[in-house]
Amino acid sequence: MFRYTLKRLVQGLITVWFIATATFGAMHLVPGDPLSGEKAASAEIQANLRAKYGLDKPVLQQYFVYLGNIARGDFGISFTQKNREVNDIIREHFPVSATMGLLAILFAGAGGVLWGALTALFRNRLPDVIIMFLVILGISVPSFVMAALGQLSLVKLNAFFGATVLPVGGWGTVRHMLVPSLVLGLGTMAYLTRLMRSSMLEIVNADFIRTAKAKGLPAARIFSKHQLRNASLPVVTVLGPAIAAITTGGFVVELVFAIPGLGRYFVQAVQQLDYTVIMGTTVFYGAFLVFMVIAVDLVYGLIDPRVRLQ
Amino acid sequence: MSKTPLLAVEDLAVEFATYGGRVKAVRGVSFSVDAGQTLAIVGESGCGKSVTVQTVMGLIPIPPGHITGGSARLRGREILGRPILDGKDIRGDQIGMIFQDPMTSLNPTMNIGSQIAETLQVHRGQTYKQAFARAVELLEMVRIPEAERRAKQYPFEFSGGMLQRAMIATAIACEPAVLIADEPTTALDVTIQAQILDLMMELQRSKDMAIILITHDLGVVARMADEVAVMYAGQIVEKGSVDDVFYRSSHPYTLGLRAAMPSNDREHGHRLHPIDGSPPDLFHPPVGCGYCARCPHAMRVCAEQPPATHAINTSGSHYSRCFLHHPDARDKRVPGIHYPEAGA
Repeated sequence: MFRYTLKRLVQGLITVWFIATATFGAMHLVPGDPLSGEKAASAEIQANLRAKYGLDKPVLQQYFVYLGNIARGDFGISFTQKNREVNDIIREHFPVSATMGLLAILFAGAGGVLWGALTALFRNRLPDVIIMFLVILGISVPSFVMAALGQLSLVKLNAFFGATVLPVGGWGTVRHMLVPSLVLGLGTMAYLTRLMRSSMLEIVNADFIRTAKAKGLPAARIFSKHQLRNASLPVVTVLGPAIAAITTGGFVVELVFAIPGLGRYFVQAVQQLDYTVIMGTTVFYGAFLVFMVIAVDLVYGLIDPRVRLQ
Repeated sequence: MSKTPLLAVEDLAVEFATYGGRVKAVRGVSFSVDAGQTLAIVGESGCGKSVTVQTVMGLIPIPPGHITGGSARLRGREILGRPILDGKDIRGDQIGMIFQDPMTSLNPTMNIGSQIAETLQVHRGQTYKQAFARAVELLEMVRIPEAERRAKQYPFEFSGGMLQRAMIATAIACEPAVLIADEPTTALDVTIQAQILDLMMELQRSKDMAIILITHDLGVVARMADEVAVMYAGQIVEKGSVDDVFYRSSHPYTLGLRAAMPSNDREHGHRLHPIDGSPPDLFHPPVGCGYCARCPHAMRVCAEQPPATHAINTSGSHYSRCFLHHPDARDKRVPGIHYPEAGA
């Protein structure tokens, strides 16, 4: 188990290095740089600034400086925001995105397992048909539409009660978090529901379920101890990629609900070609996702003993 | 007055509704077992032997399954279709069951000890700790070495033979009166088969259990059984003691099975004689005898009327469902068929 963990961590580091290199390469392939904006100064001033920021050095040298800085955890200073270090931006705004993402994952995971199990129990009957219809909606409607619909229904809700039951936007309390997280997790929840449903249907006919019945176990125990755990294995498997989907989908939801998450800075930085912020946030997000996937795989080992020893 | 048998199944009929119509999988099967006795049900794949015992255990899914008739009585009390007596599930408690494929019959994400303990928790109200300790003892009883350590392991860490031992330990945990073994050795290799069978016989002796053994292996039958029921196309075609069925076979299908058995007998020239043809379509079971299309001794009447059962010995414990034993056909005298002695 220890060796396995170590191996995965080393693999993760290599992946992060790839992400960092690819980001750096992409950055330098894009025409223009942070200094050639609309406030373009004369050629001399631009050259001076480039020299000051080291942008006139050979690309390879820049690359090694950049790698060295990342290794020390220093993502540099923003080109466009006054006196702001990229680290500060991440430190300030990432917790917001992470909280929302975590809530969304919880919604998606719990909802997916619950609805999936329910549809399997009521296979081909009304609850199954209704839930599966909603699932198709959840998978096919993009998150910005869901976000807008969510916000609209919040407005209606507050108008109905004549008071702010749940705030329409902003961030701060749990009441701010509920609906955006739900909207963010909806697509993944729909996907997990489908997965859970098919894996439940498969498990119901498994030999060991027949054994459990032959042992005379009550249906509730068979469901909770034998079906649920085995059926949720595939769900846990896709949880890693699901986290990726949720964090990337988060940008849009953050924008609609005016949530001060990292996503906005990410998009802004790309528009302004703010080298340090783009590279910093990309590498940070990349590393975060890679290690979340590893964490999920380790959790998988806890649930499925067959994975533990390999 | 004859005493009530431990488990008696009478005239059981089961159908399955499928897209292609209704399959009449079991068409009037009767048998009974007593404590300490072993009944073997033999027959080829699809003859309804597994469906019969799974129906008794309440394991067939309803729908598509449908019990169209008959009864199953445990100590005289009806259990068919509702395996609950006095508010308790008899499955795992009074009747234990083991299955064909031990590799897939255990929960892959639960350790072996807990799976055995579960039965005791549910039926005996034991705590997990008590039950787990008992599970270790049971594993020792079925001769799993280092039972304490093994109990904490998972199915993927066990071999097929050991898994089947664990299955047996689970099935006998509550000391059931009846043990149903549905092809318990089919998935195991030959040396392990013998060990598993010996273990079952030993446990039967010490606990005075009745065993219903489903198999298509006549060698296993000869080794284990007291009584044999030969099934074909959803019916019992011949039933009797092991010696009766093996040495005084009175149904052409039983003869066919014996001829198809591999033997070391020089006389037979080491050749297998398969039964030609295939079993009848149970969507539309034949009007007459189910075996008639494959039977080398079939008469016109066999295709027209269902044969009745005919007693072969005086007590009627050995019987055959074949027209050859009809009084009008007795002078046909087919070689190999055992005919009833006078008076039977």
